[in-house]
Amino acid sequence: MTNEQYRPKILGFLCNWCCYTAADSAGVGRYQYPPNLRVIRIMCTGRLDPSFPLEALASGADGVFVGGCHPGECHYQDGNYHALVSAALVHEILARLGVSRERFLIEWASAAEGPNFVKIITAFTKQVEQLGPLGLAEKIPAESLRVSLTQAAKAARDRKLRTGLINASREMFKGGDFSRTTIAQLVQAKCEKALHEVDSL
Amino acid sequence: MVASSASSTSGITKGSVLVLGGGVAGVQSALDMTELGLKVYLVEKSASIGGVMARLDKTFPTNDCSLCILAPKLVEVGRNPNIDIITNAELLKVAGTPGNFTVTIKKRPRYIDEEVCTGCGQCTLYCLKQISDDYNEKLSSTHAAHIDYSQAVPTSYHIDPKSCLRLNFETCGLCAVACQAKAIRFDQREEVVELPVGAVVLAPGFGRIKNEVLQRYGWGKFADVLTAFEHERLMCASGPTNGEIVRPSDEKHPKKIAFLQCIGSRDRTCGNDYCSSVCCMYAIKQASLAREHDPEAEITLFYMDVRTHGKGFDAARERAISENNLRIIYARPPRVEDVFDGRLLLTYATEDGEHHYEYFDMVVLSQGLESPDDAELIARVTGIDLNEYQFAATGLNAPLATSRPGIYVIGAFQGPKDIPDSVTQASGAAALCSSLLTAARGTEIVHAQYPAERDVTTEEPRIGVFVCHCGINIAGVVDVRNVRDYARGLPNVVYATDNLYSCSQDTQKHLTDIIKEHRLNRVVVSACTPRTHEPLFQATMREAGLNRSLFEMANIRDQCSWVHMHEPEEATSKARDLVRMAVAKAAHLVSLAEQLLPVTPSALVVGGGLAGLTAALAVAEQGFACTLVEKNKELGGRSLLLTADRSGNSPSEMIGGLVEKVRQHRLITTYTKATVASTSGYVGSFTSAIDTGRGSEVVNHGIIILATGGRPYRPSQYLYNQSDRVMTQLELEKRLGSSRPLSNQIKQVVMIQCVGSRGDDLAYCSRVCCGQALKNALRLKALQPSLAITIFYRDMRAYGFQEDLYRKAREQGVIFIRYTPENPPKATKDATPKSRISIKAYDSLLGEEVELAADMVVLAVGIVPEDPSTLARMLKVPVTAENFYLEAHVKLRPVDLPVDGVYVCGLAHSPKTMDETIAQAQAAAGRACQPLARGSIVPEPIVSQVDSELCIGCGACQSFCPYKAIEIYKEGKLRKARTLKASCKGCGVCAARCPTMAIDMGRFTLEGIRSQIHAFAEGE
Repeated sequence: MTNEQYRPKILGFLCNWCCYTAADSAGVGRYQYPPNLRVIRIMCTGRLDPSFPLEALASGADGVFVGGCHPGECHYQDGNYHALVSAALVHEILARLGVSRERFLIEWASAAEGPNFVKIITAFTKQVEQLGPLGLAEKIPAESLRVSLTQAAKAARDRKLRTGLINASREMFKGGDFSRTTIAQLVQAKCEKALHEVDSL
Repeated sequence: MVASSASSTSGITKGSVLVLGGGVAGVQSALDMTELGLKVYLVEKSASIGGVMARLDKTFPTNDCSLCILAPKLVEVGRNPNIDIITNAELLKVAGTPGNFTVTIKKRPRYIDEEVCTGCGQCTLYCLKQISDDYNEKLSSTHAAHIDYSQAVPTSYHIDPKSCLRLNFETCGLCAVACQAKAIRFDQREEVVELPVGAVVLAPGFGRIKNEVLQRYGWGKFADVLTAFEHERLMCASGPTNGEIVRPSDEKHPKKIAFLQCIGSRDRTCGNDYCSSVCCMYAIKQASLAREHDPEAEITLFYMDVRTHGKGFDAARERAISENNLRIIYARPPRVEDVFDGRLLLTYATEDGEHHYEYFDMVVLSQGLESPDDAELIARVTGIDLNEYQFAATGLNAPLATSRPGIYVIGAFQGPKDIPDSVTQASGAAALCSSLLTAARGTEIVHAQYPAERDVTTEEPRIGVFVCHCGINIAGVVDVRNVRDYARGLPNVVYATDNLYSCSQDTQKHLTDIIKEHRLNRVVVSACTPRTHEPLFQATMREAGLNRSLFEMANIRDQCSWVHMHEPEEATSKARDLVRMAVAKAAHLVSLAEQLLPVTPSALVVGGGLAGLTAALAVAEQGFACTLVEKNKELGGRSLLLTADRSGNSPSEMIGGLVEKVRQHRLITTYTKATVASTSGYVGSFTSAIDTGRGSEVVNHGIIILATGGRPYRPSQYLYNQSDRVMTQLELEKRLGSSRPLSNQIKQVVMIQCVGSRGDDLAYCSRVCCGQALKNALRLKALQPSLAITIFYRDMRAYGFQEDLYRKAREQGVIFIRYTPENPPKATKDATPKSRISIKAYDSLLGEEVELAADMVVLAVGIVPEDPSTLARMLKVPVTAENFYLEAHVKLRPVDLPVDGVYVCGLAHSPKTMDETIAQAQAAAGRACQPLARGSIVPEPIVSQVDSELCIGCGACQSFCPYKAIEIYKEGKLRKARTLKASCKGCGVCAARCPTMAIDMGRFTLEGIRSQIHAFAEGE
């Protein structure tokens, strides 16, 4: 496969109220974007199980996008903060497995922001395109990455890691700091033990 | 479906309403009224409902597919047991008093029995008599036995008695032989029925500009001069050319197209001195779509003024112009000439006085809206007054009330207007009828019955896939048949087909039949977005005996064909992927039990200005309690700053009366100097804390209406605040309302429009400023006829009947000078405190700079919404970039916000005049009272479910649930979680956080989503 022909496969999880609506309004306004994205509609990004993005990458996605409401604007109050916690775990696991963190993105577009959604998707598609198929940028055989990603998805459905996420979520709400760096640190700290198992994947 | 004379108990208030006209306004009003507990007789003079909107290809400003958004409503009307559609009918008489009318209706025969006709179309196939097709503006032909359009409601054919051979010459009759259903009834006779109703809503729509006016521009003489309606049909996939824009003369694609505006509008010679309000925008739409059809086409629009004053219109116009390279010329070509090489010649003079000649391949006449042809007849039989242009006469303070109590008017018959304004009025009239007939609510309605649901738990999945063409919206890009064939090969799919429009009424019937015939137990519709169309298909599922949760949509239009318009292969491949993913998910869907939640029957209205007062009163008059919260000390809002309306009456008197009524009403509790401190809950069950300054009041309410208003923009331009001579229009209003409004010293007044609006500081047009300037100019002229007044403007947006003010101002010597945003007027003064203001500007008419020494400079400053961010955040409702609330659908849900149970009206929605505000506030009340009248809501059953085997009782779900919808209980010695279904909103946080994966979500199950992920991965 030469680079010109390479078309990355991107899976998106969009929340019904903001990003999915933004995607619809981009359509109504006929804003054009690359045709790589396939969308799974969820009611809220809070539904995002941490295993979903890992499973998507394991089964053939080159990039995964999660789109929700802007912080503070979640239709269900704080689902998007929970999504940030799940996303932090995904990024942490990707790092430990040697997968480029740029293959996974969580971003926001409100219902009124069709053009913003288009901008995000266009940029993300370009970004993943530059990485090439899974394994290329990582310089690790795709097959072995897929095996470890499958294992990681399984681990993300396991009680140990999820208990870590519960504690990270609790700390996040207690601290009231929803910055991505803080959340990443919380997730690292709370999931540290369980993550050791991922390291051995 | 013919209404028989229902039980007529005279003297008692009736629980039914007659709606005259089945266009989008009539349809919306009918639907709203049934939700408010009233029965509706929908009387339509043609053979099907849908009106003009059903004939449009797209709607501005979003270029959304017109029939796609209308068809679900038509279907809803068709299946609503509380709406009797009476077609081919006219109103003969309205006798009686408000609440207790008797209407007489004449029903012309259809000659085909509606109840028996299956809509198979054999009659048309066999009919020998060809007639021109009105639906396609006579650009194609149909037969005497026909249906108006394939998605028509009722889905029944009819025979045109003027041309039928059997009816006129006692010959033929082939249709009767061909009709398997035996539905042909040549012996049908005209019927006259009398119906008792409580109120009447007139929605007859608009009439067409006379042919003589069109002929002046060569229409009817030169084949390639088309009306905009004809052009609209050419653009449409279901039109005479299947969506190809070709010249009627030679069927070639026109490369140069001209749009001529104001045909039959703003034209004294044909008696239509008003502006039709919609043509500027629809021409922009048609021009953009013509470019979409042929990217080479060069398009020119000839305007007098560009009147794109609606919400989001200016932005849409600017984008359309730049993306499509549209050329705008300010000129009014007087005629179209034919030249021998098949082209059309336009001669026109631009504003600088220069004459130009130019050839075009096609000329489109942007025809205006006239009062309906039968306006006088309607007025006579209903006893209402018409205005000088034969539209229904209404007052500025009661825009929906005709001169006869109990009879209301909506849509274009009230004055030329676009779809959202018509829909708004429709909901407003529903509120007024509901108020009038409160005593009889629910007395004449029945409840929809669905067949018992089939138990599919033990069945293997049998999935049916329906792929929609959506006219050319999808099929123009995606290879729909390829997707259909692909779907046939997917696991569990036992049936797949394609439809031209999946949302039409005939398709719903088809769907029901197919579900039964093939014993489908899961349905995937691959079409537009579930956000707008899922409810329609779910209702169809229920009619076919399936639980509505066994349904899934693949969005191959909004998120595919529309966003990959130039990549048909990629779009087709994406559509296949999306269908495969939807099918994979569908296999995991299960039936979910419905739940009924109670509704707190009261409202909260935020904002005590004109909009909030009107809305609160309209809610209370429908019999529901209402809490009104106003942040200022006094009720009345900023309308009190106006000292006269367009007809010269004092708004403060009207508002004073309104405040009094609100204060006196026993169902309204008013808090002034109060704000909403917090609010939580959902439709039917909100709880808000009102900060009254003296403490906090907790209010429970079922719905919320946001009427938070707007304020004038504060200018810094044109020496404002640096000279007493410079003021805003509102400040001039104040002066005009004072005892000594104008000193003798004032000789020259200059008004400057669009100060801060349309791109400077506010990106939008504030809609009201042109009308206000004209009104105030006339008030000044009335005080001092010799006063010199010059108005600098960009486009004089005196839409609708405000054109009268524009004409009067010109007649009285007001000078109008157009300026461009690149070259606005400049104001200077000398150092003396009393210095007059020197205004310098370029006058394109004279071709030179003019300088005026102004004694008074009046700035039209535009409207800024009050900051919506706190409420928007609390209620989770979106706002636009300009800080106006963003409605659920710009065309068809103009006062609903995307969050159920939250509504908007007034300046918080967008700038608008007082009469428009009143209609919109009434509309908000009409929409908002629907859940209150219903008394209960049935939320989507997408709630969470705990598997108690897996649950370890850790309580994480309980602690994270934003709705306290999970409780921990004891099962023996073990702690377990369970969902309180009535409180669960289905966000799924509990499922994502559960450590043992013991929680799953209805319709969005773990296995369902995983199967979507795996199906995604199977893509090539």
